[in-house]
Amino acid sequence: MEEEGKVRDMVTPGEVLGKASDVRPGKGTYAVPYNDLVYASLTGIHHSVPPVPDSTDQRPTVEVTDHKAHGAVPETGSVIIARVTKVMAKMASADIMCVGSKAVQEKFTGIIRQQDVRATEIDKVDMHSSFRPGDIVRAIVLSLGDARAYYLSTAKNELGVVSAESMAGATMVPISWTEMQCPLTAQIERRKVAKIGG
Amino acid sequence: MEYVSPEGLRLDGRRPMEMRQIRAEIGAVAKADGSAVFEMGNTKVIAAVYGPREVQHRSQQMSDQALVRCEYSMANFSTGDRMRKPKGDRRSTEISLVIRQTMEACILTHLMPRSQIDIFVQVLQADGGTRSACINAATLALADAGIPLRDLVTSCSAGYLNSTPLLDLNYVEDSAGGPDVTVGFLPKLDKVTLLQVQNLLNCVILGRFSALVVGKMDSKLPIDTFENVMQLAIEGCKAIANYIREILLENTKQLEYRRGL
Amino acid sequence: MLHSKTFVKKTRGGKVNKQVREHYLRDDIYCGAPICKVCDSSTARLSPSASTILIVDTNVVLNQIDLLENPAIDDVVMLSIVLEEVKNKNMGVYNRVRALCSNSLRRFFVFANEHHKDTFVKEMNKESKNDRNDREKAFSNFPVLTSKSIELAIRVAAQWYQTHLGGATHVLLITNDRENKRKAIEEGISAETIESYVKSLDRPELLDLLVQPTSEDVNMVEVEDLRPSKRKIMYTEHKPMSEITSGLHRGIYHQGKLRVNRYNPFEAYVGSESIGDEIIIYGRTNMNRAFDGDIVAVELLPQDQWHEEKSLSIAEEEDEDEDVHLVPSSTDDAPRTTSLVQGSAGDLNFASSHPSGRVIGIIKRNWHSYCGSLEPMPMPAGSGGTAHALFVSKDRRIPKIRIHTRQLENLLDKRIIVAVDSWDRLSRHPSGHYVRTIGEIGDTCNLKQEIGGRDTESEVVLIENDINSRPFSSQVLACLPPLPWSVSSGDLANPIRQDLRNLRVFSVDPPGCKDIDDALHCTSLPNGNFEVGVHIADVTNFVHPGTPIDDEAAERGTSVYLVERRIDMLPKPLTEGCYQGEQRSLAIHWVHIFTDGIVNFADVRIEQEMTPDAEIISKRYTKSVIKSCAALSYIEAQARMDDSRLMDPLTTDLRNMNALAKIMRLRRIERGALTLASAEVKFQIDTETHDPLDIGMYQIREANQMVEEFMLAANVSVAGKILEDFPLCSLLRRHPTPTREMLEPFLRTAAAVGLNLDASSSKALADSLDRAVGDDPYFNKLIRILATRCMTQAVYFCSGDLSPPEYHHYGLAAPLYTHFTSPIRRYADIIVHRLLAASLGICKLPPIFQDRPQLTSVADNLNYRHRNAQMAGRASVELHTLIYFRKRYGIEGPVYLTTRSEKGGGEWFVDEQQQKIRKMDGSLSYTVLQTVKIHMEVVEPQPNRPKLQLMLI
Repeated sequence: MEEEGKVRDMVTPGEVLGKASDVRPGKGTYAVPYNDLVYASLTGIHHSVPPVPDSTDQRPTVEVTDHKAHGAVPETGSVIIARVTKVMAKMASADIMCVGSKAVQEKFTGIIRQQDVRATEIDKVDMHSSFRPGDIVRAIVLSLGDARAYYLSTAKNELGVVSAESMAGATMVPISWTEMQCPLTAQIERRKVAKIGG
Repeated sequence: MEYVSPEGLRLDGRRPMEMRQIRAEIGAVAKADGSAVFEMGNTKVIAAVYGPREVQHRSQQMSDQALVRCEYSMANFSTGDRMRKPKGDRRSTEISLVIRQTMEACILTHLMPRSQIDIFVQVLQADGGTRSACINAATLALADAGIPLRDLVTSCSAGYLNSTPLLDLNYVEDSAGGPDVTVGFLPKLDKVTLLQVQNLLNCVILGRFSALVVGKMDSKLPIDTFENVMQLAIEGCKAIANYIREILLENTKQLEYRRGL
Repeated sequence: MLHSKTFVKKTRGGKVNKQVREHYLRDDIYCGAPICKVCDSSTARLSPSASTILIVDTNVVLNQIDLLENPAIDDVVMLSIVLEEVKNKNMGVYNRVRALCSNSLRRFFVFANEHHKDTFVKEMNKESKNDRNDREKAFSNFPVLTSKSIELAIRVAAQWYQTHLGGATHVLLITNDRENKRKAIEEGISAETIESYVKSLDRPELLDLLVQPTSEDVNMVEVEDLRPSKRKIMYTEHKPMSEITSGLHRGIYHQGKLRVNRYNPFEAYVGSESIGDEIIIYGRTNMNRAFDGDIVAVELLPQDQWHEEKSLSIAEEEDEDEDVHLVPSSTDDAPRTTSLVQGSAGDLNFASSHPSGRVIGIIKRNWHSYCGSLEPMPMPAGSGGTAHALFVSKDRRIPKIRIHTRQLENLLDKRIIVAVDSWDRLSRHPSGHYVRTIGEIGDTCNLKQEIGGRDTESEVVLIENDINSRPFSSQVLACLPPLPWSVSSGDLANPIRQDLRNLRVFSVDPPGCKDIDDALHCTSLPNGNFEVGVHIADVTNFVHPGTPIDDEAAERGTSVYLVERRIDMLPKPLTEGCYQGEQRSLAIHWVHIFTDGIVNFADVRIEQEMTPDAEIISKRYTKSVIKSCAALSYIEAQARMDDSRLMDPLTTDLRNMNALAKIMRLRRIERGALTLASAEVKFQIDTETHDPLDIGMYQIREANQMVEEFMLAANVSVAGKILEDFPLCSLLRRHPTPTREMLEPFLRTAAAVGLNLDASSSKALADSLDRAVGDDPYFNKLIRILATRCMTQAVYFCSGDLSPPEYHHYGLAAPLYTHFTSPIRRYADIIVHRLLAASLGICKLPPIFQDRPQLTSVADNLNYRHRNAQMAGRASVELHTLIYFRKRYGIEGPVYLTTRSEKGGGEWFVDEQQQKIRKMDGSLSYTVLQTVKIHMEVVEPQPNRPKLQLMLI
């Protein structure tokens, strides 16, 4: 039933959302003065925001939030999920897939520099024994970085590799905070493992 | 030439009021801000939208509204016999302009001043009605790009052959030389935004256009048939709009799922 | 509803390219049987009680169409794939099948099997496109199937029908293709050949309609075997299509329409565009089985043979003693080069400069049915069985046709219609089959007429010219207004219709004319100008577009005037009733509804001298109601004008109009309008027996010219008016300027009698024609007839199809012309009336005008009907001339000089420069246009084909 409701709330451009005398056009909508109607101008979910109690205009505001506008943009301090694409001596680059629990629409790249991998012994970090391309990593956004990439950090216990595949292709099981083991070959690979649920 | 058999079937087996199979797909070009593939029977068109983004040439920037640009092209392989058409020929320029104007009329350009929206449409396979398919594809791509639109503008053609109004002409019917109209329509606002007329006896055209422009509806010219044909095209537009809405909603639903909401 | 699509491939024009077309398969195509419970039966055509449903194969439709048209064959399912194939192969048959399918009396149902989801068959083995038809089809614009796939599709459809309808109905596949029949039976479909099916019907007369299949038929081979002498090869084989195509491409062969000389069936012309000249084909051997009207491929003979061949032309074909004599007929279809043969023996001397050739292949047959009779022959022993007979067509251009009949004794004295089926190279004559009987042969040599016989001959004239003389159907008659009709108050109250009953309107027509469609009035205005009104019957008030009556009129195109009868385009109440008021009832309403084209003339100085000033100041067009005060004949009108004692208003009007008309006529002639002439004869017909009593030339009076002048003026102004408003969809009439080459023979003929004609412009020609006066009062007329013959005919056309300079009417020297004034007898005028009404804003333009190809086809049909009506008129005159011949007027035709028996040989010598023919010994010479005395008689050199023979005395 809940699903049904959602579908009904979805609108496409041109659909009438209400009378301009009853509702205030907000984001993703527009009003046509001559026929006193408010229309949607985006595809997305339609919801109305109750008026601020002390404002003079007591009409609720209708808004259409489209999927693009959902703030799936990494910001400083947000926890993201990324996939490692390339591991170099001084840093690893990763594609950001989710910001918090929301998927991103566009491609954002992030960089985990050597000094940001872990909190301790930061000068002894070997990037290749911390990440492998394809690993799914939980990280925090340090800063917006340069024009190309966000700077990410895994320097916390709960951050690091959350899921990785072994050479044999199986999803490995974490056995310590630096090691993961392949269930098929029992081979042990080194990673900066995130501590989950602990 | 018999385009409608006495049994009421067209050459490809459709009845006069039937459209070809339509199919649409959103997100065919990942890099673009919005994109879509639109098929009407064997006519297949791809559209990609970039923007709103910064205006490339400062001189074109407008302080009160967005600049809409459109580029139409036909793939060399689209007509089957690999005709090499020079880029920017008259026909392409004209269709580019038509699409641009149609889309511009439905984009809320005033919301995005000093920016630019680029629409690229390319015909992958041509079998009549490319103009309409391009407009439909562009609408989908714009909606996908999240550009605020007044309404979903859709387009469909209709013609008049063997004294029968025919919806959605294919290439064979289109090249029969009979009168045909291509209509661009805003279904929710119930407004015709594009009307292109071909091969109507020019008396009809003149009569109709003078009626449109001057608003003189007591024209003595035989506009009845013309109105019928146009009404048919509008019905076609409505059907396409319903389909496009379905596709858009389906697409949004998919995204919602993916987002885990 | 839309199911799936398939892709088909095609090639064309040398280049191979792939074409992809969608093909939708449907589930809403119904079977057409009313007993069917699944399908929607609202469109069902088959009979509810049909126990057997026939599905026919393409070959059956193509060959046995005459049989299918017989009402005995019914409950037929036509598969769309079969129709498509028939259309590709023979458009004529296709149209006939289509007519059958739309005929509500017949139960023919078209099943669109190609689009039904269960009966669609994908094209199979594409490589098998090696038979000729398939390769030809590859050039067509639309995807086509190989004959194998068609056969398969037919079987699949038959199978579907059988399972669909279940056991209650028997589905029978009729095919003459052995392979197909075998496969069908293997697949459990009942199949039969058409012969066995017809035999099973137990209707012997139907067997005559059967076309004898060529190669397969066993009987035929046996018959041929009995006459081994006949088995020699008569004609060379036709070249395969591929060779012809490549030959045409390389310029070795030439393509064109074969036209057989009307006067000499052994001589034919092929107008070839590739060599820009006409190729002459001499003799049946060279014609190689081509019929008149066929599109053929021709190979040129070596130049040294161009000369020799002609001497053979007449001598050849000893067995068909076709002595060809003077025939009063037209030369319309004869090649331009023979237009000079009037009176000269041109036929024998011009050939040298023309290439001759022989037919090597036939690209498209023009076979249809022909009227004629059987060659008299003794009844073969054991009659009742089948017999072979030779059919002689009425049209001399058609060779004799061999038919196969079981009712010989019935047919011998009948005019019958025969269709051609095939002509193989082993037989001298093409073979055909009997279609139907028209009636008893009219013995035209015998003055004691049998009414039936003459009617048959008239019927033949109508059939030959494709004229529909059937009575109007009930649907058509239902469109008539309730009779007796009179002007209602509604008509008078209608604001678009002006009440002009106060005007002094009168009509001037030939005596005895009943279909009056025009009237005139002439009022002097206070300022000295005249108002002249041309009132035309408002037929469109009764004939509305899209109604059955309109369709019928469009199809008929024109009324046809035969000597003894008139075949109307519109039902009689419309031609004679509504405009005239009801004369038979007591209250005579002399009230008419007319469309007006009022033309205001002003002539300030009309008083004494006739200054050519009749300028048109203003024109007005309106619909009106008028009341005629007099219906005059030309003779009466003339008499009134001539009688100086009469000073009543009507006569004054007539005189004023006549004065204006004279000025207009003068001006027209100055512009260069030609006064042409044709040998129009007029018969006085016995009212009881319809036999001709007297024959005479049509006399033209001033009154005729006066009416004619105003009609021309009305036509011209209407043409201008409609073209102004509808530049692309007006129906106009044009008369192309004759080319130099066309006039050349005529000028030479004239030069031979010392006339110097200047044909540089129509004006110059008109002037020199005026000067051409000889001693004989008839001379000028003859010259004009010759001039007319050189020119092409005026034609209707749709203004969008040509550019304005081509609209010119040469004969009338008018830049624009149309037909407006006789809507009762010409459909073109009805169209023009509608255009005019639309242009006046009275009504909307009917949708047909938006469809230019359709309008063009209407114009083409009008031209065709018009020409046929003319031909029929002439043929009718010819017929009556033969019936009654004692006079000596205006007969034309080529002269063949033959040495009369003992009068001593002596070659004839033709002097091209002086246009003379001389006897070699100089004893006799004839010049062109010289008066000669002749002996004339009706002879019958060939049975049932009487003709007129002239002999110089």
